[in-house]
Amino acid sequence: MTDVLAEKRGIQRERCKTGIEGLDNILNGGIPRGNTILVTGSCGTGKTTLSLEFLVHGALSGEKCLFISVTEPSSKLLANLIPYEFFDDRLIEQGLLVFIDMPALYERLGLRKTEFTFEEIHMLVNAISGIVRELQIKRLVIDSITSVCFQLKTEEKIREFILKLGKALSDFGCTSLLVSEISPAEQRYSMYGVEEAIADGIIILGNLERKGDLLRTMQVVKMRGTSHSRAKYVLDLTPIGILLVPLLKGGMGAEK
Amino acid sequence: MNSTEVAERLKSMPDGSSIALKIGETNFADNYVAALNGVLKEFMPERRYTCIYVTTTTPSHLCKNLFEMFEMDVSNIYFVDAISHIMMNVSTQMERTTYIESPTMLENILLKIEFLLKKLANENKLLILDSINTLAIHNGNRILAEFLHILVNNLKSKGVFTIILGVEERNSDEISNMLSLVCDDTIVVK
Repeated sequence: MTDVLAEKRGIQRERCKTGIEGLDNILNGGIPRGNTILVTGSCGTGKTTLSLEFLVHGALSGEKCLFISVTEPSSKLLANLIPYEFFDDRLIEQGLLVFIDMPALYERLGLRKTEFTFEEIHMLVNAISGIVRELQIKRLVIDSITSVCFQLKTEEKIREFILKLGKALSDFGCTSLLVSEISPAEQRYSMYGVEEAIADGIIILGNLERKGDLLRTMQVVKMRGTSHSRAKYVLDLTPIGILLVPLLKGGMGAEK
Repeated sequence: MNSTEVAERLKSMPDGSSIALKIGETNFADNYVAALNGVLKEFMPERRYTCIYVTTTTPSHLCKNLFEMFEMDVSNIYFVDAISHIMMNVSTQMERTTYIESPTMLENILLKIEFLLKKLANENKLLILDSINTLAIHNGNRILAEFLHILVNNLKSKGVFTIILGVEERNSDEISNMLSLVCDDTIVVK
Protein backbone atom coordinates (compact mmCIF):
# COMPACT_ATOMS: atom_id res chain seq x y z
CA MET A 1 0.00 0.00 0.00
CA THR A 2 1.40 3.41 -0.86
CA ASP A 3 2.04 5.94 1.90
CA VAL A 4 -0.71 8.19 0.57
CA LEU A 5 -3.30 5.42 0.64
CA ALA A 6 -2.13 4.32 4.08
CA GLU A 7 -2.55 7.85 5.41
CA LYS A 8 -5.99 8.20 3.82
CA ARG A 9 -7.04 5.03 5.59
CA GLY A 10 -5.78 6.47 8.87
CA ILE A 11 -2.81 4.09 9.12
CA GLN A 12 0.17 5.82 10.72
CA ARG A 13 3.51 5.45 8.97
CA GLU A 14 6.25 3.86 11.02
CA ARG A 15 8.27 6.53 12.82
CA CYS A 16 11.97 7.02 13.17
CA LYS A 17 12.29 8.60 16.61
CA THR A 18 14.93 11.30 16.53
CA GLY A 19 15.51 10.82 20.28
CA ILE A 20 15.27 14.60 20.67
CA GLU A 21 12.20 14.72 22.90
CA GLY A 22 10.99 18.14 21.82
CA LEU A 23 11.39 17.39 18.11
CA ASP A 24 9.62 14.03 18.40
CA ASN A 25 6.73 15.84 20.10
CA ILE A 26 6.63 18.42 17.29
CA LEU A 27 6.53 15.57 14.74
CA ASN A 28 3.89 13.57 16.62
CA GLY A 29 6.26 10.71 17.30
CA GLY A 30 9.22 11.16 14.99
CA ILE A 31 10.19 11.39 11.32
CA PRO A 32 8.18 9.06 9.07
CA ARG A 33 10.65 6.26 8.34
CA GLY A 34 12.35 6.51 4.97
CA ASN A 35 11.86 10.26 4.61
CA THR A 36 14.67 12.47 3.30
CA ILE A 37 14.84 15.65 5.36
CA LEU A 38 16.61 18.89 4.64
CA VAL A 39 18.13 20.34 7.83
CA THR A 40 18.86 23.89 6.88
CA GLY A 41 20.27 27.01 8.51
CA SER A 42 23.16 29.42 8.64
CA CYS A 43 26.41 28.72 10.46
CA GLY A 44 26.32 28.16 14.22
CA THR A 45 22.65 27.29 14.38
CA GLY A 46 23.14 23.65 15.44
CA LYS A 47 22.60 21.70 12.18
CA THR A 48 25.52 19.32 12.64
CA THR A 49 24.79 18.89 16.36
CA LEU A 50 21.15 18.01 15.67
CA SER A 51 22.16 15.58 12.93
CA LEU A 52 24.75 13.85 15.10
CA GLU A 53 22.34 13.54 17.99
CA PHE A 54 19.81 11.95 15.62
CA LEU A 55 22.43 9.35 14.68
CA VAL A 56 23.68 8.72 18.23
CA HIS A 57 20.13 8.05 19.47
CA GLY A 58 19.58 5.71 16.54
CA ALA A 59 22.80 3.84 17.29
CA LEU A 60 21.86 3.61 20.97
CA SER A 61 18.59 1.98 19.95
CA GLY A 62 20.50 -0.57 17.88
CA GLU A 63 20.10 0.95 14.40
CA LYS A 64 23.12 1.22 12.12
CA CYS A 65 23.88 4.86 11.39
CA LEU A 66 26.13 6.58 8.86
CA PHE A 67 27.55 10.10 8.84
CA ILE A 68 29.05 11.26 5.55
CA SER A 69 31.21 14.29 6.19
CA VAL A 70 31.76 16.46 3.15
CA THR A 71 33.22 19.66 4.51
CA GLU A 72 35.56 18.57 7.30
CA PRO A 73 37.36 15.38 8.30
CA SER A 74 35.20 13.30 10.61
CA SER A 75 38.11 13.05 13.09
CA LYS A 76 37.97 16.84 13.53
CA LEU A 77 34.18 16.70 13.78
CA LEU A 78 34.33 14.11 16.55
CA ALA A 79 36.93 16.13 18.45
CA ASN A 80 34.55 19.11 18.52
CA LEU A 81 31.46 17.08 19.32
CA ILE A 82 29.51 18.28 22.35
CA PRO A 83 30.48 15.91 25.19
CA TYR A 84 27.10 14.15 25.22
CA GLU A 85 26.51 12.30 28.46
CA PHE A 86 24.71 9.59 26.48
CA PHE A 87 27.49 9.14 23.91
CA ASP A 88 29.35 5.85 24.08
CA ASP A 89 32.61 5.24 22.13
CA ARG A 90 31.60 1.60 21.75
CA LEU A 91 28.91 2.68 19.25
CA ILE A 92 31.75 3.37 16.79
CA GLU A 93 33.73 0.24 17.76
CA GLN A 94 30.61 -1.92 17.28
CA GLY A 95 29.94 -0.43 13.85
CA LEU A 96 26.62 1.07 14.87
CA LEU A 97 27.92 4.56 14.16
CA VAL A 98 30.00 4.83 10.99
CA PHE A 99 31.80 7.93 9.72
CA ILE A 100 32.90 8.31 6.11
CA ASP A 101 34.67 11.31 4.60
CA MET A 102 33.18 12.21 1.22
CA PRO A 103 36.55 13.24 -0.30
CA ALA A 104 37.78 9.69 0.33
CA LEU A 105 34.70 8.36 -1.46
CA TYR A 106 35.31 10.70 -4.41
CA GLU A 107 38.88 9.46 -4.51
CA ARG A 108 37.79 5.83 -4.49
CA LEU A 109 35.37 6.49 -7.36
CA GLY A 110 37.95 8.47 -9.30
CA LEU A 111 35.83 11.64 -9.17
CA ARG A 112 38.34 14.41 -9.42
CA LYS A 113 36.58 16.98 -11.62
CA THR A 114 35.08 20.19 -10.33
CA GLU A 115 31.80 19.40 -12.10
CA PHE A 116 30.27 15.93 -12.22
CA THR A 117 28.60 14.45 -15.29
CA PHE A 118 25.25 12.60 -15.05
CA GLU A 119 27.18 9.34 -15.27
CA GLU A 120 29.37 10.36 -12.33
CA ILE A 121 26.28 11.39 -10.35
CA HIS A 122 24.86 7.90 -10.86
CA MET A 123 28.18 6.43 -9.71
CA LEU A 124 28.03 8.52 -6.56
CA VAL A 125 24.40 7.61 -5.83
CA ASN A 126 25.18 3.93 -6.43
CA ALA A 127 28.22 4.11 -4.16
CA ILE A 128 26.27 5.72 -1.27
CA SER A 129 23.26 3.44 -1.66
CA GLY A 130 25.65 0.47 -1.93
CA ILE A 131 27.20 1.36 1.43
CA VAL A 132 23.73 1.84 2.94
CA ARG A 133 22.61 -1.57 1.63
CA GLU A 134 25.79 -3.39 2.58
CA LEU A 135 25.99 -1.99 6.11
CA GLN A 136 22.19 -2.08 6.55
CA ILE A 137 22.15 1.59 7.46
CA LYS A 138 18.85 2.88 8.89
CA ARG A 139 19.87 6.49 9.50
CA LEU A 140 22.05 8.61 7.25
CA VAL A 141 23.37 12.16 7.47
CA ILE A 142 25.17 13.98 4.66
CA ASP A 143 26.86 17.12 5.98
CA SER A 144 26.57 19.07 3.86
CA ILE A 145 24.46 18.48 0.76
CA THR A 146 25.30 22.06 -0.25
CA SER A 147 28.95 21.08 -0.71
CA VAL A 148 27.96 18.09 -2.84
CA CYS A 149 25.63 20.27 -4.91
CA PHE A 150 28.49 22.69 -5.47
CA GLN A 151 30.07 20.04 -7.70
CA LEU A 152 26.82 19.30 -9.54
CA LYS A 153 26.36 22.93 -10.62
CA THR A 154 23.05 22.73 -12.54
CA GLU A 155 19.52 22.38 -11.19
CA GLU A 156 18.96 19.31 -13.37
CA LYS A 157 21.95 17.51 -11.90
CA ILE A 158 21.06 18.45 -8.31
CA ARG A 159 17.50 17.26 -8.90
CA GLU A 160 18.76 14.00 -10.42
CA PHE A 161 21.16 13.39 -7.50
CA ILE A 162 18.70 14.07 -4.68
CA LEU A 163 15.77 12.26 -6.33
CA LYS A 164 17.83 9.16 -7.12
CA LEU A 165 19.50 9.10 -3.71
CA GLY A 166 16.24 9.78 -1.84
CA LYS A 167 14.48 6.96 -3.74
CA ALA A 168 17.30 4.48 -3.06
CA LEU A 169 17.47 5.36 0.64
CA SER A 170 13.70 5.21 1.05
CA ASP A 171 13.64 1.77 -0.57
CA PHE A 172 16.05 0.57 2.12
CA GLY A 173 13.90 2.15 4.86
CA CYS A 174 16.76 4.55 5.59
CA THR A 175 15.78 7.90 7.12
CA SER A 176 18.13 10.65 5.98
CA LEU A 177 19.08 14.14 7.01
CA LEU A 178 20.70 16.30 4.35
CA VAL A 179 22.40 19.29 5.93
CA SER A 180 21.96 22.46 3.92
CA GLU A 181 23.91 25.66 4.45
CA ILE A 182 22.30 29.01 3.78
CA SER A 183 23.34 32.55 4.58
CA PRO A 184 21.45 34.32 7.39
CA ALA A 185 19.71 36.66 4.95
CA GLU A 186 18.51 33.85 2.67
CA GLN A 187 14.80 33.90 1.81
CA ARG A 188 14.76 30.23 0.81
CA TYR A 189 15.65 26.99 2.54
CA SER A 190 18.53 25.84 0.37
CA MET A 191 21.40 27.31 -1.61
CA TYR A 192 20.17 26.12 -5.01
CA GLY A 193 16.41 26.13 -4.37
CA VAL A 194 16.05 22.61 -5.76
CA GLU A 195 16.86 20.65 -2.58
CA GLU A 196 13.91 22.09 -0.65
CA ALA A 197 11.40 21.17 -3.34
CA ILE A 198 12.50 17.53 -3.50
CA ALA A 199 12.98 16.79 0.20
CA ASP A 200 10.18 15.09 2.16
CA GLY A 201 10.72 17.44 5.06
CA ILE A 202 12.41 20.71 5.99
CA ILE A 203 13.70 21.59 9.43
CA ILE A 204 15.03 25.12 9.59
CA LEU A 205 17.42 26.27 12.29
CA GLY A 206 18.10 29.93 12.80
CA ASN A 207 19.22 32.78 14.98
CA LEU A 208 16.51 35.17 16.12
CA GLU A 209 17.57 38.58 17.35
CA ARG A 210 15.15 40.13 19.82
CA LYS A 211 16.04 43.41 21.47
CA GLY A 212 19.74 42.58 21.31
CA ASP A 213 19.38 38.98 22.52
CA LEU A 214 20.25 36.18 20.12
CA LEU A 215 18.11 33.04 20.39
CA ARG A 216 18.70 29.74 18.56
CA THR A 217 15.44 28.69 16.90
CA MET A 218 14.00 25.64 15.15
CA GLN A 219 10.93 25.25 12.97
CA VAL A 220 9.56 22.30 11.03
CA VAL A 221 8.10 23.86 7.91
CA LYS A 222 7.36 20.66 6.00
CA MET A 223 7.17 16.95 6.83
CA ARG A 224 5.45 14.51 4.53
CA GLY A 225 3.67 11.62 6.19
CA THR A 226 2.76 13.24 9.49
CA SER A 227 0.90 16.16 10.93
CA HIS A 228 3.25 18.43 12.84
CA SER A 229 3.60 21.75 14.60
CA ARG A 230 4.81 24.56 12.34
CA ALA A 231 5.52 26.91 15.24
CA LYS A 232 8.95 28.29 16.03
CA TYR A 233 10.81 26.89 19.05
CA VAL A 234 13.90 28.06 20.93
CA LEU A 235 16.59 25.46 21.40
CA ASP A 236 19.58 24.87 23.60
CA LEU A 237 22.50 22.56 22.86
CA THR A 238 23.30 20.76 26.12
CA PRO A 239 25.35 17.74 27.23
CA ILE A 240 22.06 15.83 27.64
CA GLY A 241 21.05 16.72 24.08
CA ILE A 242 18.99 19.38 22.34
CA LEU A 243 16.26 20.91 24.47
CA LEU A 244 13.35 22.87 23.02
CA VAL A 245 10.80 25.30 24.41
CA PRO A 246 8.16 27.34 22.56
CA LEU A 247 9.17 30.80 21.35
CA LEU A 248 7.25 33.25 23.53
CA LYS A 249 5.04 35.21 21.19
CA GLY A 250 4.44 38.11 23.53
CA GLY A 251 7.87 39.26 22.46
CA MET A 252 7.13 39.35 18.73
CA GLY A 253 6.21 42.96 18.29
CA ALA A 254 3.05 42.63 20.35
CA GLU A 255 4.28 45.36 22.63
CA LYS A 256 7.09 47.83 22.59
CA MET B 1 4.61 36.20 59.88
CA ASN B 2 7.75 34.39 61.08
CA SER B 3 9.76 31.66 59.38
CA THR B 4 7.97 28.82 61.17
CA GLU B 5 4.58 30.16 60.12
CA VAL B 6 5.80 30.40 56.52
CA ALA B 7 7.05 26.81 56.69
CA GLU B 8 3.80 25.55 58.23
CA ARG B 9 1.73 27.15 55.46
CA LEU B 10 3.97 25.56 52.84
CA LYS B 11 3.83 22.16 54.55
CA SER B 12 0.06 22.19 54.20
CA MET B 13 0.43 22.25 50.40
CA PRO B 14 1.06 19.11 48.30
CA ASP B 15 3.91 18.55 45.83
CA GLY B 16 3.32 20.37 42.56
CA SER B 17 1.74 23.38 44.27
CA SER B 18 2.56 26.90 43.14
CA ILE B 19 2.77 29.68 45.71
CA ALA B 20 3.13 33.44 45.41
CA LEU B 21 5.31 34.44 48.37
CA LYS B 22 4.87 38.19 48.78
CA ILE B 23 7.32 40.01 51.00
CA GLY B 24 6.30 43.25 52.68
CA GLU B 25 8.43 46.29 51.87
CA THR B 26 8.51 47.64 55.44
CA ASN B 27 11.33 45.86 57.28
CA PHE B 28 12.07 44.16 53.97
CA ALA B 29 15.37 42.56 55.08
CA ASP B 30 13.76 40.89 58.10
CA ASN B 31 10.78 39.72 56.06
CA TYR B 32 13.05 38.38 53.29
CA VAL B 33 15.20 36.42 55.75
CA ALA B 34 12.08 35.07 57.52
CA ALA B 35 10.68 33.93 54.17
CA LEU B 36 13.94 32.28 53.09
CA ASN B 37 14.48 30.66 56.49
CA GLY B 38 10.96 29.27 56.36
CA VAL B 39 11.48 27.88 52.87
CA LEU B 40 15.10 26.77 52.84
CA LYS B 41 15.76 25.83 56.50
CA GLU B 42 12.42 24.47 57.63
CA PHE B 43 10.25 23.46 54.67
CA MET B 44 12.82 22.19 52.15
CA PRO B 45 14.68 19.69 54.41
CA GLU B 46 11.45 18.17 55.65
CA ARG B 47 10.29 17.40 52.10
CA ARG B 48 13.86 16.39 51.12
CA TYR B 49 13.69 18.73 48.15
CA THR B 50 16.52 19.66 45.85
CA CYS B 51 16.14 23.35 45.06
CA ILE B 52 16.44 25.13 41.72
CA TYR B 53 16.90 28.79 42.65
CA VAL B 54 16.29 31.16 39.72
CA THR B 55 17.72 34.54 40.55
CA THR B 56 17.04 37.60 38.43
CA THR B 57 17.70 40.04 41.26
CA THR B 58 20.93 39.26 43.13
CA PRO B 59 23.95 37.49 41.58
CA SER B 60 24.05 33.86 42.63
CA HIS B 61 27.35 34.15 44.53
CA LEU B 62 25.81 36.84 46.74
CA CYS B 63 22.69 34.72 47.26
CA LYS B 64 24.91 31.81 48.26
CA ASN B 65 26.89 34.00 50.68
CA LEU B 66 23.66 35.26 52.24
CA PHE B 67 22.24 31.76 52.62
CA GLU B 68 25.46 30.54 54.22
CA MET B 69 25.50 33.51 56.55
CA PHE B 70 22.09 32.41 57.84
CA GLU B 71 23.33 28.80 58.07
CA MET B 72 21.14 27.49 55.28
CA ASP B 73 22.35 24.30 53.58
CA VAL B 74 23.36 25.30 50.04
CA SER B 75 24.61 21.85 49.00
CA ASN B 76 21.17 21.00 47.59
CA ILE B 77 20.65 24.27 45.75
CA TYR B 78 21.24 24.69 42.00
CA PHE B 79 21.25 28.28 40.79
CA VAL B 80 19.97 29.61 37.48
CA ASP B 81 21.55 33.07 37.43
CA ALA B 82 20.04 35.53 34.94
CA ILE B 83 21.56 38.68 36.41
CA SER B 84 25.34 38.26 36.79
CA HIS B 85 25.99 38.51 33.04
CA ILE B 86 24.38 41.91 32.61
CA MET B 87 26.27 43.10 35.69
CA MET B 88 29.48 41.89 33.96
CA ASN B 89 30.02 39.68 36.97
CA VAL B 90 30.68 36.14 35.74
CA SER B 91 34.47 36.03 35.65
CA THR B 92 34.44 33.49 38.47
CA GLN B 93 31.75 30.94 37.86
CA MET B 94 30.29 28.98 40.77
CA GLU B 95 29.65 25.27 40.78
CA ARG B 96 26.03 24.13 40.50
CA THR B 97 25.25 27.40 38.73
CA THR B 98 24.00 28.00 35.20
CA TYR B 99 24.30 31.51 33.83
CA ILE B 100 21.93 33.23 31.41
CA GLU B 101 22.95 36.34 29.51
CA SER B 102 20.01 38.48 30.48
CA PRO B 103 16.68 38.32 32.34
CA THR B 104 15.06 39.21 29.01
CA MET B 105 15.98 35.76 27.68
CA LEU B 106 12.92 34.12 29.17
CA GLU B 107 13.04 31.12 26.84
CA ASN B 108 16.61 30.44 27.98
CA ILE B 109 15.46 30.52 31.60
CA LEU B 110 12.86 27.87 30.65
CA LEU B 111 15.55 25.85 28.87
CA LYS B 112 17.99 25.92 31.80
CA ILE B 113 15.21 24.92 34.19
CA GLU B 114 14.29 22.09 31.82
CA PHE B 115 17.94 21.00 31.75
CA LEU B 116 18.10 20.88 35.56
CA LEU B 117 14.75 19.08 35.80
CA LYS B 118 16.16 16.36 33.55
CA LYS B 119 19.51 16.23 35.38
CA LEU B 120 17.72 15.97 38.72
CA ALA B 121 15.11 13.54 37.42
CA ASN B 122 15.29 11.28 40.48
CA GLU B 123 15.05 14.09 43.06
CA ASN B 124 12.01 15.74 44.61
CA LYS B 125 12.26 19.30 43.46
CA LEU B 126 11.46 22.80 44.64
CA LEU B 127 11.79 25.80 42.32
CA ILE B 128 12.13 29.34 43.65
CA LEU B 129 11.81 32.28 41.27
CA ASP B 130 13.39 35.41 42.80
CA SER B 131 11.74 37.65 41.78
CA ILE B 132 8.69 38.52 39.70
CA ASN B 133 9.36 42.23 40.21
CA THR B 134 12.80 42.22 38.59
CA LEU B 135 11.51 40.13 35.71
CA ALA B 136 8.83 42.79 35.25
CA ILE B 137 11.52 45.49 35.05
CA HIS B 138 13.18 43.73 32.11
CA ASN B 139 10.13 42.29 30.31
CA GLY B 140 6.74 43.48 29.10
CA ASN B 141 3.60 42.20 30.79
CA ARG B 142 2.39 40.06 27.89
CA ILE B 143 5.58 38.07 27.44
CA LEU B 144 5.98 37.76 31.21
CA ALA B 145 2.45 36.39 31.58
CA GLU B 146 3.14 33.88 28.79
CA PHE B 147 6.40 32.86 30.48
CA LEU B 148 4.77 32.38 33.88
CA HIS B 149 1.90 30.40 32.40
CA ILE B 150 4.24 27.98 30.58
CA LEU B 151 6.70 27.74 33.48
CA VAL B 152 4.24 27.11 36.28
CA ASN B 153 2.06 24.67 34.35
CA ASN B 154 5.10 22.74 33.17
CA LEU B 155 6.42 22.51 36.74
CA LYS B 156 3.01 21.55 38.07
CA SER B 157 2.71 18.74 35.52
CA LYS B 158 6.06 17.43 36.75
CA GLY B 159 5.15 17.67 40.44
CA VAL B 160 7.68 20.43 41.18
CA PHE B 161 6.79 22.69 44.12
CA THR B 162 7.06 26.28 42.87
CA ILE B 163 7.50 29.47 44.89
CA ILE B 164 7.43 32.87 43.18
CA LEU B 165 8.92 35.64 45.29
CA GLY B 166 7.84 39.25 44.98
CA VAL B 167 7.65 42.51 46.90
CA GLU B 168 4.01 42.96 47.78
CA GLU B 169 3.82 46.73 47.45
CA ARG B 170 5.73 46.71 44.14
CA ASN B 171 3.39 44.32 42.34
CA SER B 172 1.34 46.11 39.70
CA ASP B 173 -2.25 45.06 39.06
CA GLU B 174 -1.07 43.14 36.01
CA ILE B 175 1.49 41.18 38.04
CA SER B 176 -1.04 40.47 40.78
CA ASN B 177 -3.46 39.17 38.16
CA MET B 178 -0.76 36.96 36.63
CA LEU B 179 0.14 35.50 40.02
CA SER B 180 -3.45 34.85 41.00
CA LEU B 181 -3.98 33.11 37.66
CA VAL B 182 -1.03 30.71 37.93
CA CYS B 183 -0.59 30.26 41.69
CA ASP B 184 -2.62 28.02 43.97
CA ASP B 185 -2.10 30.18 47.06
CA THR B 186 -0.54 33.41 48.28
CA ILE B 187 1.52 33.88 51.43
CA VAL B 188 2.30 37.40 52.61
CA VAL B 189 5.28 37.90 54.92
CA LYS B 190 5.21 41.21 56.78
